[in-house]
Amino acid sequence: MRKPILLLALLCPAGVSGLAAQGTYYARLGAIGASNLLRDVIVDEITVKQSIAPMLALGGALPLGERGYRIGLEGTFASGKFHSSESGTDTDLGTVRTGTVMLELDGPLYKGFRWQAGLGGIKYWPSGDDGIFREGGPLKFLAGAGVDFRRPVMAKWDLLTSLRYDWHRFTTDELEQRGFSQTQGVSRVSLSIGLSRGTSR
Amino acid sequence: MSRPVRWAAAALVVAAAACSDIAPPLRSDFYEWRLIVPKTTGSGEDSLTFHWPHDRIPVRIWVEDAASLPQNVPNAIAAWREAFLYDEFDATVVSDSNAADVIVRSGAAPGIQFARARLHSALATECAGATDLDISDDHTQLRLPVRVYIDPRSEPNAPGLPACLALTTTHELGHALGIWRHAGAPTDLMFADPTVAGPSERDLATAEVIYHVPPNVEAVGR
Repeated sequence: MRKPILLLALLCPAGVSGLAAQGTYYARLGAIGASNLLRDVIVDEITVKQSIAPMLALGGALPLGERGYRIGLEGTFASGKFHSSESGTDTDLGTVRTGTVMLELDGPLYKGFRWQAGLGGIKYWPSGDDGIFREGGPLKFLAGAGVDFRRPVMAKWDLLTSLRYDWHRFTTDELEQRGFSQTQGVSRVSLSIGLSRGTSR
Repeated sequence: MSRPVRWAAAALVVAAAACSDIAPPLRSDFYEWRLIVPKTTGSGEDSLTFHWPHDRIPVRIWVEDAASLPQNVPNAIAAWREAFLYDEFDATVVSDSNAADVIVRSGAAPGIQFARARLHSALATECAGATDLDISDDHTQLRLPVRVYIDPRSEPNAPGLPACLALTTTHELGHALGIWRHAGAPTDLMFADPTVAGPSERDLATAEVIYHVPPNVEAVGR
Protein backbone atom coordinates (compact mmCIF):
# COMPACT_ATOMS: atom_id res chain seq x y z
CA MET A 1 0.00 0.00 0.00
CA ARG A 2 2.86 2.41 0.75
CA LYS A 3 4.43 2.04 -2.68
CA PRO A 4 1.48 3.43 -4.67
CA ILE A 5 1.18 6.37 -2.28
CA LEU A 6 4.89 7.12 -2.56
CA LEU A 7 4.73 6.77 -6.32
CA LEU A 8 1.82 9.15 -6.42
CA ALA A 9 3.59 11.66 -4.20
CA LEU A 10 6.65 11.53 -6.42
CA LEU A 11 4.72 11.73 -9.66
CA CYS A 12 2.79 14.84 -8.70
CA PRO A 13 5.68 17.31 -8.50
CA ALA A 14 7.84 15.45 -11.01
CA GLY A 15 5.27 15.47 -13.75
CA VAL A 16 4.36 19.13 -13.53
CA SER A 17 5.17 20.07 -17.09
CA GLY A 18 3.59 17.01 -18.70
CA LEU A 19 0.49 16.91 -16.58
CA ALA A 20 -0.05 20.64 -16.72
CA ALA A 21 -0.27 20.38 -20.46
CA GLN A 22 -2.65 17.46 -20.52
CA GLY A 23 -4.15 16.80 -17.15
CA THR A 24 -4.39 17.95 -13.60
CA TYR A 25 -2.92 17.21 -10.23
CA TYR A 26 -4.03 18.34 -6.83
CA ALA A 27 -3.67 18.25 -3.08
CA ARG A 28 -6.48 18.63 -0.57
CA LEU A 29 -6.80 18.84 3.20
CA GLY A 30 -9.98 18.09 5.06
CA ALA A 31 -11.79 15.94 7.54
CA ILE A 32 -13.25 12.48 7.28
CA GLY A 33 -15.90 10.72 9.35
CA ALA A 34 -16.84 7.06 9.31
CA SER A 35 -19.71 4.87 10.40
CA ASN A 36 -19.24 2.06 12.95
CA LEU A 37 -16.34 -0.30 12.41
CA LEU A 38 -17.89 -2.95 14.55
CA ARG A 39 -20.97 -3.91 16.49
CA ASP A 40 -20.57 -6.47 19.24
CA VAL A 41 -22.69 -7.85 22.07
CA ILE A 42 -21.08 -9.31 25.17
CA VAL A 43 -23.69 -8.28 27.73
CA ASP A 44 -24.89 -5.00 26.24
CA GLU A 45 -24.27 -3.69 22.76
CA ILE A 46 -20.78 -2.38 22.04
CA THR A 47 -19.90 -0.30 19.03
CA VAL A 48 -16.48 0.72 17.78
CA LYS A 49 -16.14 3.86 15.75
CA GLN A 50 -13.45 6.15 14.44
CA SER A 51 -13.53 9.78 15.44
CA ILE A 52 -13.62 12.49 12.78
CA ALA A 53 -10.05 12.67 11.56
CA PRO A 54 -7.89 15.07 9.54
CA MET A 55 -7.23 13.86 6.03
CA LEU A 56 -4.74 14.57 3.26
CA ALA A 57 -5.45 13.68 -0.36
CA LEU A 58 -3.04 13.74 -3.28
CA GLY A 59 -3.97 12.87 -6.81
CA GLY A 60 -3.60 13.40 -10.51
CA ALA A 61 -5.65 12.74 -13.62
CA LEU A 62 -5.20 12.61 -17.37
CA PRO A 63 -7.75 13.32 -20.11
CA LEU A 64 -9.69 10.36 -21.43
CA GLY A 65 -11.25 11.06 -24.81
CA GLU A 66 -12.74 14.31 -26.06
CA ARG A 67 -15.81 14.63 -23.84
CA GLY A 68 -14.12 15.91 -20.71
CA TYR A 69 -13.64 12.61 -18.96
CA ARG A 70 -10.44 11.90 -17.06
CA ILE A 71 -8.81 8.94 -15.43
CA GLY A 72 -6.65 9.39 -12.39
CA LEU A 73 -5.12 8.04 -9.26
CA GLU A 74 -5.78 9.40 -5.80
CA GLY A 75 -4.23 8.55 -2.46
CA THR A 76 -5.53 9.66 0.91
CA PHE A 77 -4.15 9.44 4.40
CA ALA A 78 -6.06 10.00 7.64
CA SER A 79 -5.10 9.60 11.27
CA GLY A 80 -7.45 9.74 14.21
CA LYS A 81 -8.69 8.18 17.40
CA PHE A 82 -11.08 5.30 17.65
CA HIS A 83 -13.24 4.35 20.59
CA SER A 84 -15.74 1.84 21.85
CA SER A 85 -19.15 2.78 23.25
CA GLU A 86 -21.08 0.63 25.68
CA SER A 87 -24.11 1.71 27.72
CA GLY A 88 -23.32 5.36 27.08
CA THR A 89 -19.67 5.09 28.12
CA ASP A 90 -16.91 5.74 25.61
CA THR A 91 -13.47 4.14 25.91
CA ASP A 92 -10.51 5.48 23.96
CA LEU A 93 -8.90 2.59 22.09
CA GLY A 94 -5.96 4.49 20.65
CA THR A 95 -5.10 5.81 17.22
CA VAL A 96 -5.68 4.25 13.85
CA ARG A 97 -4.33 5.53 10.56
CA THR A 98 -5.93 4.72 7.23
CA GLY A 99 -4.50 5.00 3.77
CA THR A 100 -6.38 4.58 0.52
CA VAL A 101 -5.45 4.37 -3.12
CA MET A 102 -8.16 4.61 -5.76
CA LEU A 103 -8.22 4.49 -9.53
CA GLU A 104 -10.77 7.08 -10.48
CA LEU A 105 -12.86 8.21 -13.39
CA ASP A 106 -14.28 11.71 -13.41
CA GLY A 107 -16.33 13.82 -15.74
CA PRO A 108 -18.10 17.15 -16.07
CA LEU A 109 -21.37 17.76 -14.30
CA TYR A 110 -22.34 21.43 -14.37
CA LYS A 111 -20.11 24.47 -14.65
CA GLY A 112 -17.32 23.97 -12.10
CA PHE A 113 -18.74 20.72 -10.77
CA ARG A 114 -17.36 17.33 -11.71
CA TRP A 115 -18.45 13.87 -10.66
CA GLN A 116 -15.94 11.27 -9.66
CA ALA A 117 -16.07 7.52 -9.01
CA GLY A 118 -13.39 5.00 -8.31
CA LEU A 119 -12.23 1.64 -7.00
CA GLY A 120 -9.24 0.82 -4.88
CA GLY A 121 -8.13 -0.35 -1.47
CA ILE A 122 -7.94 0.81 2.12
CA LYS A 123 -5.34 -0.18 4.66
CA TYR A 124 -5.62 0.24 8.45
CA TRP A 125 -2.53 0.91 10.54
CA PRO A 126 -3.33 0.78 14.26
CA SER A 127 -1.00 2.44 16.75
CA GLY A 128 -0.76 -0.77 18.78
CA ASP A 129 -1.20 -4.45 18.08
CA ASP A 130 -3.89 -5.15 20.65
CA GLY A 131 -7.65 -5.44 20.93
CA ILE A 132 -9.42 -5.80 17.60
CA PHE A 133 -6.11 -5.11 15.81
CA ARG A 134 -4.06 -7.69 17.78
CA GLU A 135 -3.29 -9.52 14.53
CA GLY A 136 -2.70 -6.29 12.61
CA GLY A 137 -4.75 -3.96 10.45
CA PRO A 138 -6.65 -5.21 7.43
CA LEU A 139 -6.37 -4.31 3.75
CA LYS A 140 -9.81 -4.11 2.13
CA PHE A 141 -11.41 -3.38 -1.20
CA LEU A 142 -12.82 0.15 -1.46
CA ALA A 143 -15.36 1.84 -3.72
CA GLY A 144 -16.11 5.52 -3.73
CA ALA A 145 -17.76 8.43 -5.47
CA GLY A 146 -17.97 12.15 -5.03
CA VAL A 147 -18.35 15.62 -6.39
CA ASP A 148 -15.64 18.24 -6.86
CA PHE A 149 -16.12 21.94 -7.31
CA ARG A 150 -13.33 23.99 -8.89
CA ARG A 151 -13.04 27.72 -8.90
CA PRO A 152 -10.11 29.47 -10.60
CA VAL A 153 -7.95 31.49 -8.22
CA MET A 154 -4.85 32.04 -10.36
CA ALA A 155 -3.83 31.51 -13.94
CA LYS A 156 -3.26 27.79 -13.65
CA TRP A 157 -4.51 27.10 -10.16
CA ASP A 158 -8.03 26.20 -9.08
CA LEU A 159 -9.47 26.17 -5.60
CA LEU A 160 -10.84 22.68 -5.23
CA THR A 161 -13.64 21.71 -2.86
CA SER A 162 -14.42 18.04 -2.66
CA LEU A 163 -17.16 15.99 -1.08
CA ARG A 164 -16.44 12.27 -1.18
CA TYR A 165 -18.12 9.09 -0.06
CA ASP A 166 -16.49 5.70 0.06
CA TRP A 167 -17.47 2.30 1.32
CA HIS A 168 -15.73 -0.89 2.32
CA ARG A 169 -16.35 -3.97 4.40
CA PHE A 170 -14.41 -4.21 7.64
CA THR A 171 -13.15 -7.04 9.77
CA THR A 172 -9.78 -8.07 11.19
CA ASP A 173 -7.93 -11.34 11.57
CA GLU A 174 -8.39 -11.08 15.33
CA LEU A 175 -12.17 -10.74 14.98
CA GLU A 176 -12.31 -13.69 12.60
CA GLN A 177 -10.27 -15.81 15.01
CA ARG A 178 -12.74 -14.95 17.77
CA GLY A 179 -15.66 -16.18 15.72
CA PHE A 180 -17.04 -12.97 14.26
CA SER A 181 -18.72 -13.85 11.01
CA GLN A 182 -19.49 -11.69 7.98
CA THR A 183 -18.08 -8.19 7.83
CA GLN A 184 -19.22 -4.70 8.73
CA GLY A 185 -20.09 -2.24 5.98
CA VAL A 186 -18.25 1.00 6.72
CA SER A 187 -19.24 4.25 5.04
CA ARG A 188 -16.91 7.21 5.12
CA VAL A 189 -17.64 10.80 4.13
CA SER A 190 -15.00 13.45 3.68
CA LEU A 191 -15.07 17.15 3.01
CA SER A 192 -11.84 18.72 1.87
CA ILE A 193 -10.41 21.79 0.23
CA GLY A 194 -7.24 22.21 -1.74
CA LEU A 195 -5.52 23.42 -4.86
CA SER A 196 -5.54 21.89 -8.31
CA ARG A 197 -3.17 22.72 -11.13
CA GLY A 198 -3.60 21.93 -14.78
CA THR A 199 -6.42 21.66 -17.27
CA SER A 200 -9.34 21.25 -14.95
CA ARG A 201 -12.40 22.35 -16.83
CA MET B 1 -36.38 -15.52 -15.58
CA SER B 2 -36.51 -12.32 -17.61
CA ARG B 3 -33.53 -9.99 -17.79
CA PRO B 4 -35.09 -7.20 -15.63
CA VAL B 5 -35.99 -9.73 -12.95
CA ARG B 6 -32.46 -11.14 -13.01
CA TRP B 7 -30.99 -7.66 -12.66
CA ALA B 8 -33.39 -6.83 -9.83
CA ALA B 9 -32.52 -10.07 -8.04
CA ALA B 10 -28.81 -9.42 -8.47
CA ALA B 11 -29.24 -5.88 -7.18
CA LEU B 12 -31.11 -7.17 -4.13
CA VAL B 13 -28.35 -9.68 -3.38
CA VAL B 14 -25.69 -6.97 -3.70
CA ALA B 15 -27.72 -4.58 -1.54
CA ALA B 16 -28.25 -7.25 1.13
CA ALA B 17 -24.55 -8.07 1.17
CA ALA B 18 -23.65 -4.40 1.35
CA CYS B 19 -25.99 -3.61 4.20
CA SER B 20 -25.43 -6.64 6.44
CA ASP B 21 -23.54 -6.13 9.67
CA ILE B 22 -20.74 -8.10 11.20
CA ALA B 23 -22.11 -10.91 13.38
CA PRO B 24 -20.50 -11.30 16.81
CA PRO B 25 -19.98 -14.77 18.26
CA LEU B 26 -22.21 -16.12 20.99
CA ARG B 27 -20.29 -15.93 24.23
CA SER B 28 -21.96 -18.64 26.23
CA ASP B 29 -19.02 -20.85 27.16
CA PHE B 30 -17.96 -19.29 30.44
CA TYR B 31 -18.17 -20.43 34.04
CA GLU B 32 -19.40 -19.01 37.33
CA TRP B 33 -16.86 -16.49 38.59
CA ARG B 34 -18.69 -14.83 41.47
CA LEU B 35 -17.62 -15.33 45.05
CA ILE B 36 -20.54 -16.73 47.01
CA VAL B 37 -20.42 -15.71 50.66
CA PRO B 38 -22.99 -15.95 53.47
CA LYS B 39 -24.87 -12.75 54.10
CA THR B 40 -23.60 -10.95 57.15
CA THR B 41 -27.13 -10.19 58.29
CA GLY B 42 -29.98 -12.61 58.03
CA SER B 43 -29.87 -15.80 56.02
CA GLY B 44 -28.93 -16.44 52.41
CA GLU B 45 -25.88 -15.65 50.32
CA ASP B 46 -24.28 -12.77 48.47
CA SER B 47 -22.81 -13.25 45.01
CA LEU B 48 -19.89 -10.89 44.71
CA THR B 49 -18.67 -9.74 41.32
CA PHE B 50 -15.78 -7.39 40.77
CA HIS B 51 -13.76 -5.92 37.98
CA TRP B 52 -11.22 -3.15 37.94
CA PRO B 53 -12.90 0.10 36.87
CA HIS B 54 -11.51 1.89 33.87
CA ASP B 55 -10.17 4.76 35.96
CA ARG B 56 -7.91 2.32 37.85
CA ILE B 57 -6.44 0.81 34.71
CA PRO B 58 -3.65 -0.04 34.30
CA VAL B 59 -3.77 -1.94 37.59
CA ARG B 60 -0.51 -1.37 39.45
CA ILE B 61 1.22 -4.57 40.55
CA TRP B 62 4.24 -4.72 42.84
CA VAL B 63 6.28 -7.89 42.48
CA GLU B 64 8.83 -9.37 44.87
CA ASP B 65 12.12 -10.28 43.22
CA ALA B 66 11.91 -14.00 43.93
CA ALA B 67 10.36 -17.22 42.62
CA SER B 68 10.72 -15.99 39.01
CA LEU B 69 7.95 -13.48 39.73
CA PRO B 70 9.58 -10.60 37.78
CA GLN B 71 9.45 -12.81 34.67
CA ASN B 72 6.17 -14.58 35.32
CA VAL B 73 3.97 -11.62 36.28
CA PRO B 74 4.45 -9.70 32.99
CA ASN B 75 3.80 -12.93 31.12
CA ALA B 76 0.64 -13.45 33.15
CA ILE B 77 -0.53 -9.89 32.40
CA ALA B 78 0.03 -10.50 28.69
CA ALA B 79 -1.82 -13.81 28.84
CA TRP B 80 -4.90 -12.24 30.43
CA ARG B 81 -4.84 -9.19 28.16
CA GLU B 82 -5.63 -11.53 25.30
CA ALA B 83 -9.13 -11.91 26.71
CA PHE B 84 -10.03 -8.36 25.88
CA LEU B 85 -10.97 -6.55 22.69
CA TYR B 86 -11.84 -3.13 24.07
CA ASP B 87 -9.05 -2.22 26.52
CA GLU B 88 -11.13 -3.45 29.45
CA PHE B 89 -8.11 -4.58 31.48
CA ASP B 90 -4.44 -3.83 31.66
CA ALA B 91 -1.82 -3.97 34.40
CA THR B 92 1.67 -2.72 34.91
CA VAL B 93 4.46 -3.61 37.30
CA VAL B 94 5.38 -0.76 39.67
CA SER B 95 8.40 -0.32 41.91
CA ASP B 96 6.63 1.14 44.95
CA SER B 97 4.61 -1.40 46.92
CA ASN B 98 2.84 1.42 48.77
CA ALA B 99 1.29 2.57 45.51
CA ALA B 100 0.32 -0.88 44.30
CA ASP B 101 -3.20 -2.21 43.81
CA VAL B 102 -1.91 -5.78 43.87
CA ILE B 103 1.10 -7.07 45.81
CA VAL B 104 2.66 -10.33 44.68
CA ARG B 105 5.02 -12.00 47.13
CA SER B 106 6.95 -15.21 47.19
CA GLY B 107 6.27 -17.63 50.03
CA ALA B 108 3.43 -19.21 51.89
CA ALA B 109 0.39 -17.10 52.65
CA PRO B 110 0.53 -15.85 56.24
CA GLY B 111 -2.17 -16.41 58.80
CA ILE B 112 -5.37 -14.73 57.74
CA GLN B 113 -4.90 -11.18 58.91
CA PHE B 114 -6.08 -9.10 55.98
CA ALA B 115 -8.35 -11.47 54.21
CA ARG B 116 -12.04 -11.94 54.49
CA ALA B 117 -11.67 -14.33 51.62
CA ARG B 118 -8.70 -16.44 50.66
CA LEU B 119 -8.62 -18.27 47.38
CA HIS B 120 -6.22 -21.21 47.64
CA SER B 121 -4.86 -22.60 44.43
CA ALA B 122 -2.50 -25.24 43.12
CA LEU B 123 -2.24 -28.39 45.11
CA ALA B 124 0.90 -29.52 43.31
CA THR B 125 3.91 -30.63 45.31
CA GLU B 126 6.14 -28.13 43.51
CA CYS B 127 4.34 -24.91 44.37
CA ALA B 128 1.14 -23.36 45.68
CA GLY B 129 -0.66 -20.06 45.42
CA ALA B 130 -3.16 -17.97 47.31
CA THR B 131 -4.97 -14.70 46.76
CA ASP B 132 -6.30 -12.69 49.70
CA LEU B 133 -9.24 -10.38 49.21
CA ASP B 134 -10.00 -7.94 52.01
CA ILE B 135 -13.71 -7.46 51.55
CA SER B 136 -15.72 -5.14 53.77
CA ASP B 137 -18.28 -6.54 56.20
CA ASP B 138 -21.16 -5.35 54.07
CA HIS B 139 -19.66 -7.03 51.00
CA THR B 140 -19.60 -3.84 48.93
CA GLN B 141 -15.92 -2.88 49.05
CA LEU B 142 -12.62 -4.52 48.22
CA ARG B 143 -9.93 -2.89 50.31
CA LEU B 144 -6.69 -2.63 48.39
CA PRO B 145 -4.18 -4.01 47.94
CA VAL B 146 -5.09 -7.48 46.78
CA ARG B 147 -2.36 -9.79 48.10
CA VAL B 148 -1.07 -12.69 46.08
CA TYR B 149 1.31 -15.36 47.40
CA ILE B 150 3.29 -17.74 45.25
CA ASP B 151 4.95 -20.44 47.31
CA PRO B 152 7.76 -22.49 45.72
CA ARG B 153 7.54 -25.25 48.25
CA SER B 154 10.02 -27.58 46.58
CA GLU B 155 13.77 -27.38 46.04
CA PRO B 156 14.83 -24.57 43.68
CA ASN B 157 16.07 -27.05 41.09
CA ALA B 158 13.13 -29.42 41.35
CA PRO B 159 11.85 -30.52 37.95
CA GLY B 160 8.52 -28.95 37.16
CA LEU B 161 9.00 -26.02 39.51
CA PRO B 162 9.43 -23.32 36.81
CA ALA B 163 6.26 -24.46 35.02
CA CYS B 164 4.37 -24.66 38.30
CA LEU B 165 5.42 -21.15 39.29
CA ALA B 166 4.49 -19.75 35.88
CA LEU B 167 1.02 -21.26 35.69
CA THR B 168 0.27 -20.58 39.35
CA THR B 169 1.23 -16.92 38.93
CA THR B 170 -1.10 -16.60 35.94
CA HIS B 171 -3.82 -18.41 37.89
CA GLU B 172 -3.53 -16.07 40.87
CA LEU B 173 -3.54 -13.03 38.61
CA GLY B 174 -6.81 -14.40 37.22
CA HIS B 175 -8.22 -14.13 40.75
CA ALA B 176 -6.80 -10.62 41.09
CA LEU B 177 -8.49 -9.46 37.90
CA GLY B 178 -11.89 -10.66 39.07
CA ILE B 179 -12.31 -14.43 38.65
CA TRP B 180 -13.15 -15.02 42.30
CA ARG B 181 -14.03 -18.65 41.97
CA HIS B 182 -12.41 -21.79 40.62
CA ALA B 183 -13.43 -23.35 37.34
CA GLY B 184 -14.84 -26.84 37.42
CA ALA B 185 -12.84 -28.32 34.55
CA PRO B 186 -9.16 -29.32 34.76
CA THR B 187 -8.69 -28.02 31.21
CA ASP B 188 -9.08 -24.49 32.58
CA LEU B 189 -6.24 -22.56 34.18
CA MET B 190 -8.64 -21.38 36.87
CA PHE B 191 -9.26 -24.96 38.01
CA ALA B 192 -8.38 -25.24 41.71
CA ASP B 193 -5.38 -27.44 40.97
CA PRO B 194 -4.36 -26.12 37.56
CA THR B 195 -2.14 -28.08 35.21
CA VAL B 196 -2.57 -26.22 31.89
CA ALA B 197 0.06 -23.65 31.03
CA GLY B 198 -2.16 -20.70 30.17
CA PRO B 199 -5.75 -19.44 30.19
CA SER B 200 -8.15 -21.63 28.23
CA GLU B 201 -10.79 -20.28 25.87
CA ARG B 202 -13.29 -20.60 28.74
CA ASP B 203 -10.98 -18.73 31.10
CA LEU B 204 -10.60 -15.89 28.59
CA ALA B 205 -14.32 -15.82 27.82
CA THR B 206 -15.11 -15.66 31.53
CA ALA B 207 -12.67 -12.79 32.09
CA GLU B 208 -14.17 -10.95 29.13
CA VAL B 209 -17.72 -11.32 30.41
CA ILE B 210 -16.77 -10.15 33.92
CA TYR B 211 -15.67 -6.80 32.54
CA HIS B 212 -19.09 -6.24 30.98
CA VAL B 213 -21.18 -7.12 34.03
CA PRO B 214 -21.78 -4.30 36.52
CA PRO B 215 -19.72 -5.03 39.65
CA ASN B 216 -21.30 -5.02 43.11
CA VAL B 217 -17.94 -4.69 44.85
CA GLU B 218 -15.93 -1.49 44.55
CA ALA B 219 -12.15 -1.17 44.97
CA VAL B 220 -11.25 1.31 47.71
CA GLY B 221 -8.01 2.64 49.10
CA ARG B 222 -4.66 3.31 47.52
